[in-house]
Amino acid sequence: MAMDAGIEQHLAAGRHARAFDLVVPAYKDRVFRLAYSILKERAAAEDAAQETFVRVWKALPGFDGRAALGTWIYAITRNTCLMELRRRRPTVSFDDPDSTEAQHAAASIASGPAADPERDNLLRLVDTLPHNQQEAVRLFYLEDRSYETVAEQLGMPLGTVKNLLHRARKRLMELARPDEVKAA
Amino acid sequence: MNDPTLIGPCTDYEHDLVDLHDGTLAPDRARVVRRHLEACPRCRDWQAKFAILETRLAAALPRPGLSPTFDAKLQQRLAALVRPPVRSDLRATLEREHDSLIDSLRRGARRHAILGALGSAAVMLCALAAVRGLLAQGAGLVPSVADGPERWLMLGIVGVAMAVAALGWSAGRNGVPTLGMLR
Repeated sequence: MAMDAGIEQHLAAGRHARAFDLVVPAYKDRVFRLAYSILKERAAAEDAAQETFVRVWKALPGFDGRAALGTWIYAITRNTCLMELRRRRPTVSFDDPDSTEAQHAAASIASGPAADPERDNLLRLVDTLPHNQQEAVRLFYLEDRSYETVAEQLGMPLGTVKNLLHRARKRLMELARPDEVKAA
Repeated sequence: MNDPTLIGPCTDYEHDLVDLHDGTLAPDRARVVRRHLEACPRCRDWQAKFAILETRLAAALPRPGLSPTFDAKLQQRLAALVRPPVRSDLRATLEREHDSLIDSLRRGARRHAILGALGSAAVMLCALAAVRGLLAQGAGLVPSVADGPERWLMLGIVGVAMAVAALGWSAGRNGVPTLGMLR
């Protein structure tokens, strides 16, 4: 990534503040979308993105370049989000439809701009997927259907992401009512 | 639950159907998959359902964006973290520079004072020796001064005058040497 090359030049020269000034605009949207795919709440995702960049700012002088900068930043994002989930509920079960996350998701659906029963039902079905599949599905469509970006952000091999998405879609096709997902 | 009718050789085509939908399937493989689609109603149905699901998911899933105040909030958070260390660092740096300047001035003042004292002493000794020689040569001209206690009084007056002149010169240049005892 050309932007990363510029950032890494500043880092190599010890200009951490200037490097950070480039990191934020380059990564803030993707960090936010990754956080949103995990936390499923806009405000919580934005808080997590803020926290992520504070951590990046603190840790940037120690960044040794062994991993790609993006990989490192996304790992910090995922850890920040997981800590937030643990803080909310220490023994959260990601696959429990009654979990706080599922309730938050239902609330966000209910407070959506327009009532659309089919859309709401599909989102509820997404919430019934295993957590890693939910993350992959949300991120995939947030990131304009880029498998590579999702793989980088989730820290998974490309094949794993494709399999996760495939299982998620099959499950959704099975769960959807015949009148919801039917051939035209 | 999985539909038992979906288990079978056709499941091998599902990944290919996804790649075909994404336009990422290799042309040779795409031809094979299209031929299979023509002959397999189950896969045609799966492909159609998949396409609908894709469209509906893309439309249904929320796509939130960052708030416009994100950058400002982040700057505030970072400033709260940065400011105290920067202030203390700046103060420490200024104090170090101040101490270094004072030390340097004190060292310079000591050097000046010592050199000035040595110089003054040397000039005084030379002047005293010269006056003594002149007085010795002109003993006949000023016998009353060359002999007796007046001679030492005169030498003292000349010496004091020269010392005062040396101190005046020194004060005019860098102030009165204090051997670095005054800050």
